[in-house]
Parts: sequence; structure tokens; C-alpha cells
Amino acid sequence: MTNIASTGRARAGRARGLSTKAAVHTVLLGYTIIAIFPVILVILNSFKNRRGIFSDPLGLPRGETFSMEGYATVLTQGDFATYFANSIIVTVSALFLILLLGAMAAHALAEYRFRLNTLLGIYLILGIMVPIRLGTVAILELMVDLNLVNTLLALILVYTAQGLPVAVFILTEFMRTLSRDIKDCARVDGLSEYRIFFEVVVPLIRPVLATVAVFSMIPIWNDLWFPLILASGDATKTVTLGVQQFIGQYTVNWSAVLASLSIAILPVLGLYALFSRQLIAGITSGAVKG
Amino acid sequence: MSDLVLKDVRKAYGEARVIHGIDLDIRDGEFVVFVGPSGCGKSTLLRMIAGLETVTGGDVIIGGEKVNDIVPADRGIAMVFQSYALYPHKDVYGNMAFALRHAGEDKAVIDERVKKAAEILGLEALLKRKPKELSGGQRQRVAIGRAIVRDPEIFLFDEPLSNLDAALRVQMRVEILRLHQRLKTTMIYVTHDQVEAMTLADRIVVLRDGRVEQVGTPLELYHHPCNRFVAGFIGSPKMNFLAIDPIDDGRRVRYRQSAPIDLHVKTRSGAVPTEIGIRPEHVRLVEPGKGAFDGTVFVVERLGGETFLHVDFGHEEPFVVKADGGVQLRSGDVVGLVFPAETLHLFDAEGVAFEQTERHALLG
Repeated sequence: MTNIASTGRARAGRARGLSTKAAVHTVLLGYTIIAIFPVILVILNSFKNRRGIFSDPLGLPRGETFSMEGYATVLTQGDFATYFANSIIVTVSALFLILLLGAMAAHALAEYRFRLNTLLGIYLILGIMVPIRLGTVAILELMVDLNLVNTLLALILVYTAQGLPVAVFILTEFMRTLSRDIKDCARVDGLSEYRIFFEVVVPLIRPVLATVAVFSMIPIWNDLWFPLILASGDATKTVTLGVQQFIGQYTVNWSAVLASLSIAILPVLGLYALFSRQLIAGITSGAVKG
Repeated sequence: MSDLVLKDVRKAYGEARVIHGIDLDIRDGEFVVFVGPSGCGKSTLLRMIAGLETVTGGDVIIGGEKVNDIVPADRGIAMVFQSYALYPHKDVYGNMAFALRHAGEDKAVIDERVKKAAEILGLEALLKRKPKELSGGQRQRVAIGRAIVRDPEIFLFDEPLSNLDAALRVQMRVEILRLHQRLKTTMIYVTHDQVEAMTLADRIVVLRDGRVEQVGTPLELYHHPCNRFVAGFIGSPKMNFLAIDPIDDGRRVRYRQSAPIDLHVKTRSGAVPTEIGIRPEHVRLVEPGKGAFDGTVFVVERLGGETFLHVDFGHEEPFVVKADGGVQLRSGDVVGLVFPAETLHLFDAEGVAFEQTERHALLG
């Protein structure tokens, strides 16, 4: 009796588990479609000619609508290789500086007891609440004074400043959870504080560094504001700014715009793939009890 | 020479004072255990010896040299941490070799020392594993191996066995003892577990609230605790305490309304015994009515080889008696209790123990 009853219950439980799973996956799938749809649309339409884009925006490129004219325009007109190089240089350099300086500041805030520690932490994190664009005029004046207008360095510096608050915030919280023993052990082993940071702490926080990198990367890559204001010269244009040349006041070369945007996705995708390998958590397991 | 001397060592964090002037003399090759309840400052003291905490006052002297301002790496110490603190991105070999590589030691020397430490600890087969692929006991062994390869003058252990399960703890305890016999190096070991302290130590330092309560060999502390705190801390299950009434300036005492008993203790002026202590293993069980008083057994804990009886005779605190494993008693049974005189401890109102000149049959 009880046996039958319990199997029945188990079967009901399994069925319920299955329906819950189906529901969860339906929601996830729907969300994924909504998220990916615009990207797919951009890529699809980048392979169509102008008429194809307007007559059948959702259709697949085929027959007479298929065209590589967008890509041809992008690769021949303007200097997109330079724009890409600029975007990559700015993004990678800014990311490097954000991660390096952010991690060092976070390490200091989490590890050392000194006066004004809390105050300094709040000061560094304040930037999360104040959008950096509010300071655009002052930043522009500063860059003019420093002779940095129309240089990539100007963008790198601004993006580093923009990314640091969130990086410090996330990294400090995580560093506080690191075992104190492992750093003390390195001290007993005779490492300097810098080497403790680079040889012991950095390998431990790699997953979090990857997270911060992904978070910081997207707004830098996509930004149009600061390139337009600080580095609009042809030699320093980034991809997002370069695309603007196809958007005229009266006509927009949609094939070219969509083609350049499709190409622009690739480097970000590459960087994401690079970081996501580090995102796998559990890299610290085994360091301390667990 | 690796004597360790602490001279009036003090530690304060701002206004909060945690170590109140500790004097200690640890001889070369000695195994000393710091024991005390949590928050007593034992780990802080160890970290001060290691150089991980600054010394607020007094001197730490290793091998005749004052090391207050010397960095941990140059003090000739190696430390084993409670959480193992292995470098997760390095394999076992890399973990053990790390400090030597950093010191610029010759590759062949490193290899030889790591191999030797691995042999001592039975880690040869695991040298290529990452810490996450090891069990708790293996990780702790790697942590100890990492200390061994540095060939320190003093080993510092900060509660190294607290994260292990009970069986493994007993096994590692024996391994640490054998390691000490083999290396004959000074070892300082911090624990809150009095069993570890008793089994490992040449000498135990009992700490409470940043002060040394008593220093002595395990048996000295067991037989001659200098105060009520040490008496209660050393021994398991812990000592039973009974409040008594002193009569005739403390020459005689009695428990509740029992008959007064003569004392043969070295009395101190101004102090009278107000409490007696007796260890569970020293209480004798007799037929009801034949002992000092009768009590009712209300809990029976059977460990197989021995049995702990919790006895109620109207006393406020729990009173535990240790009996044979085969004792035929059940909860609700009435027993008579005898306190053999030579096993009794006496304390005054401040908890300070009396020295007994002649131990005398007290309370039956």
C-alpha cells in the first residue's frame, strides 16, 4: 500500500518537475529570442540590397535581394580598418587600465587597515552615481589644455575613469571574501606586497576580473559620445563614429550601416569568448577549506 | 639556537588591548601548545611571533635576536594555517617549492628538499595534483610539507586540525607528533581543543583574555591546576565544582548540611576555600546510602569503553561521573557518590587553588 502510494507520489513529482522545467525553458527561450532577434535582423539585412531591406525587412536574403554591396562599401569607402584598430586599441587599453588600477585599489581597500579607508572607498565608488557625461565640458577643456584632443589616449583616459568606480566596487566586495591566511602565508614565504598582489591575489580573482571586463567592455565599445567630442578626426575615429558617415541628413546607406555594425560585433564577441573562459567559477576551490 | 623568548609582549588595536604583557621562555626543540577559549588572544600571540601582527609593547626574541621589526620571511619561522592557505593555481610541487623558488634557491636543492618533504608526509604520488583535487587531510599535509621544505627553526601551527573530521584529526595529531620526534625542531601550536593540547605538548600555555593563566606540562596542569579556570579547562569531561561553606577560618568546610570536615591545606591569610573541584574520573560509585550523598542518574552517555553519568543531587550545575563501559545503570537509578580525598581540588572565592599539604578524606 505505502509502496504504491509513494511510487505514485514520486511519479507525480517527476511529472511536476518536468512541467516546471518546460515552463522555465519556454521563458528562457522566449527571452533569448527577444534578445537575439535584433542582432539576427542586423546580420540578415546586412546581406541584402537596399530594396531587399525595405521591401521585406524580415525575409532571408535570396535571389535578387542578396547583395554584398554593404560590405563592399564598408571595405572600400572610408578607412574602416583604422576605425576598427582604433576601437580595439581604445577598448583593450582602457580595459587593461580599469582592471589593473581597479584591482589594486580594491586590494588596498580590502587588505589594509588605515585611517580614512571607508571614506576613500566611498569616494572611489561615488562615480557610479554621477554620470561621467555631466563632466563633458570640463573634460574637453582639460583635454584641450593637455593637447590630447584627437588622440586615442584621451579616450582611453576617459573610459578608464568611467569604468573604475564599478570595477572598484565589485572587486572590493569580492576581495573581502578572500582568505586572509593565503596572503599571510605568502608574507611568511617572503613575498613583497606587490608580488602578493600579482602572484597570489590576481590568480584568485580571475573569474571576477573577467566579469568586470565584460561589464566594462560593452559601454566603451558602443560609445559614440566621447569619440564624437574628443576624437572625431579621421585618424582617431572609432567604429561607432565611422558608421555615422553612412547616415546622412537625407539619405542613409542602410546596407553599409548594417554591414559595418555586423563586423563590429565580431571583436566584442571575440573578447567575450576570451573572458568567458575565466568566468567559470570554482577556480578558488581547494585553496581554503571547502 | 632557536630559543624563543617573549618579554612583556603586549598588543592593542587602538584602545582595545588584547594581549596584556606575556612573558614566556620556549626552549630549543620544545613542543609548546597555546590553548584557551576563543578570543583569548592565542592566535594573535602566534601571529605576533610570526611577524604578521605588529608588537605594541615588549620584545619577541628568537635565537637571542630581537625580531620585533624583522619581516616574517627573515625570522626563520614557517607557519601552517587553519584554512591550509594553499595556492590554488599551483600544483602540490609548486606549492611546496614556492618559497624556495622565490628565495632564489638552486633548482636541484629545491627538488631535493621538496622530494624529501613529500616522502616524510607520503605525498610522492600527489605532487602533480592541484589543491582542489586533494582531500582535507592531504591538503593539510601539503601545508605542513610547505613548512618543512623551508627548514625553519620554529614551526608555527595555527589550529591546523580544526577543519578536519574527527577521525582524521586523531590521525594527523599522531603524524604531527612523529614529525616533531623526527625533526626535533621547536614547534608552537595553537588550539582551542584541550585534547590536542594534552596529547601533543611538552608544555602547555593556558591563555585567557590575553593573559597567561598557567604554564606547565600536561600532567602538571591536570594534577595541579593553579586556578579554577585551568582546572575546568583541562580534562574532558570537565571538572565538577561544588560550592562549600568554610568554617573556623577555613580549617574546616562542609557541603550544604553535611558534617564539617577538617582540611589539611596550606591556608593563605585572608583566603578561605569556598569551592571544591573533582574530576569525573575520580568520583567513585557505591551503593545508595553508603557514600557522601545519594544522587539520581538522569542521563547515561555510553561510549563503549566508558560511560558518562549525569547525576542529580540537588546541585545547580551538571555533575558528571565517569564509570566503566559495562556499568549496569539506567536513567532514574539512585547511586551513592564517594569523593576520594587525594583527588580533590580546593579554590577560594577568586578561584585561586590551594596547595594541599596532606590530602584528607573530605566529605566521606
